[in-house]
Amino acid sequence: MTAPLIDLHGITRTFGAHTALHDVTLALPPGRVGVLGPNGAGKSTLLKILMGLIPPSSGTGRVLDQDLGGDRDAAGNWRLRQLIGFMPEADSLVPGLTGIEYVGLAGELYGMPRREAQRRAHEVLSYLELEEARYRRVEEYSTGMKQRAKLAQALVHDPPVLLLDEPTSGLDPAGRDAMLRLIRALGTDHGKSVLLSTHLLADVEAVCERVVILAGGRVRGVGTVAELCSRRQDRYRIRVEGEAAGFRDDLESEGVRVLAETTPGEWRVTVPDGWTNLAFFKLAEINQVVIRALLRDDETLEELFLRTVSS
Amino acid sequence: MPAQTDTLLRYRPWRGTLHGPLWSALAMARVSLRLMFRRRLYWGLFALTLLVFFFFFYGQYLVVWITTQVADDTVPVAGMKVPIKDFTRFLDRLALNGTTHTFGNFIWFEGYVVVIVLALAGSVLVGNDFAHGSLPFYLSKPIGRWHYVLGKCLAIGVFVNLATTVPAVLLWIEAGLLFDWRTYYLDNLDLLAGVLGYGLVLTVTLSLMVVATAVWVRRAVPMVMVWMGAFVLLRMLGGWLADILGDERWRLIDLWNDLYLVGMWCLGADPATLRPQPQPAYWEAGLVVGGVCAGCLLYLRRRVQAVEIVN
Repeated sequence: MTAPLIDLHGITRTFGAHTALHDVTLALPPGRVGVLGPNGAGKSTLLKILMGLIPPSSGTGRVLDQDLGGDRDAAGNWRLRQLIGFMPEADSLVPGLTGIEYVGLAGELYGMPRREAQRRAHEVLSYLELEEARYRRVEEYSTGMKQRAKLAQALVHDPPVLLLDEPTSGLDPAGRDAMLRLIRALGTDHGKSVLLSTHLLADVEAVCERVVILAGGRVRGVGTVAELCSRRQDRYRIRVEGEAAGFRDDLESEGVRVLAETTPGEWRVTVPDGWTNLAFFKLAEINQVVIRALLRDDETLEELFLRTVSS
Repeated sequence: MPAQTDTLLRYRPWRGTLHGPLWSALAMARVSLRLMFRRRLYWGLFALTLLVFFFFFYGQYLVVWITTQVADDTVPVAGMKVPIKDFTRFLDRLALNGTTHTFGNFIWFEGYVVVIVLALAGSVLVGNDFAHGSLPFYLSKPIGRWHYVLGKCLAIGVFVNLATTVPAVLLWIEAGLLFDWRTYYLDNLDLLAGVLGYGLVLTVTLSLMVVATAVWVRRAVPMVMVWMGAFVLLRMLGGWLADILGDERWRLIDLWNDLYLVGMWCLGADPATLRPQPQPAYWEAGLVVGGVCAGCLLYLRRRVQAVEIVN
């Protein structure tokens, strides 16, 4: 049986009087997981605990069967960090080193023998299409190349888990798209579990199967993206033919809220409690319009996030 | 794009045994030295340390050869017969005869270049990691924060020993060959131990000082100013105050003199033979050196622990 990617029980972390994480219980199978939350939600604290950089104040947990917690520099935490390839948000390059030296050094810091770290650095840089630039100094790289170099150093020891902190930060649309496809491919084709921490919800939608939404140090939502977004039963997509203005006014007077008009006569709406679909047709008949389509609609991830965080 | 099928085929998993964090510290030291010696300036300065060594090496050879072979010979100078040994009188101060003061003087003179190199190298070795945000790269790996400090100190220690201890040991070997090797080596094993002890004191103190000051000021120019202040201004000030106030303890503010005193204690030198006189007691100098090391460690503990790896 595959060990869960993350298995946390009542994790709390306090910094003095401030509680950054409050009784977080979370179980996630291996896969691609987006960690979402506004600033101050506790994302960074959660990531630090998952990497073994700080111990939880209380609670227990495991990442791929490796215990969390303990002392900051305990051997268990080193083993935990060997399981994780971390791509920091900050530049975190070492000026003066070439790409190959940078990635090779990362391999050795993860504990790889020198020769194998060098060989693997060549492989990973080739895979990330940096083979032409591998003998150039990293500070001369473009933003996109720097991001890929950072991903390469996280990937060099072939970890089962990649922890990516804002991996598309500063990239142009094409670079961002390429990076997201790459991350997705690492998950789907090479079995890597990915923990993606980002503010860009579109990135999570493009890459992740599951999301964890944090707010105020608590888990506010966890599940697959599809499951969470379809959990609402009050949303419809409706398309009508005929005099739509009167029909819309009547809908709104009955408490239906029009979220967006995608094309004239086609809306995304939320309905009030106790609403039945029959009411749509009654109002259509009154206004002499024909309902051409009535489909249950899902929330977008952005709507889900905003609703979850503000609740 | 990297996610295309042909590129994905190039990704190969890696399976191997990962070493512990001490290996990582060695890798960090090696890469730090490479970064340092990638600049020609350091090769030039290292060549200067070799010049000092060769001066002592050939000076010792010359003095011993003259003393043992042609001491009583004379050469005519302006119609007068001058003993050959008078030509090397100016070398008497350096005591080029394989005794305690040979090694003490050698390391003292090497110290000038070593201090200049370290003042310049601090920003390359450590300051840049703080200035360019490279620390998350190091500290997100399976190493403790003290392994980072150890790695940097090792790099500095290698340079310090290459400039001081290793050539001093070569001088010891040379002295044995010039005198009677059957008795010199056995009779002067304590000198060898003293040289190694002096080297150890220099390594520990200077490496901690470099890392601590580089963490503090980060850039090369302020680093040079701080080091010149510590090793030149304080030296001058200590000398003046000791002379004017008639209290040799003022020399304790001269850190290089303190290191010299601790080193001479390691070499077993008679305090009365040290220059300039009077000097503080060995134990007083040892206390200052120990205090400086402890201060650096405390400062590093505070600063390195405060680094945020995940923002």
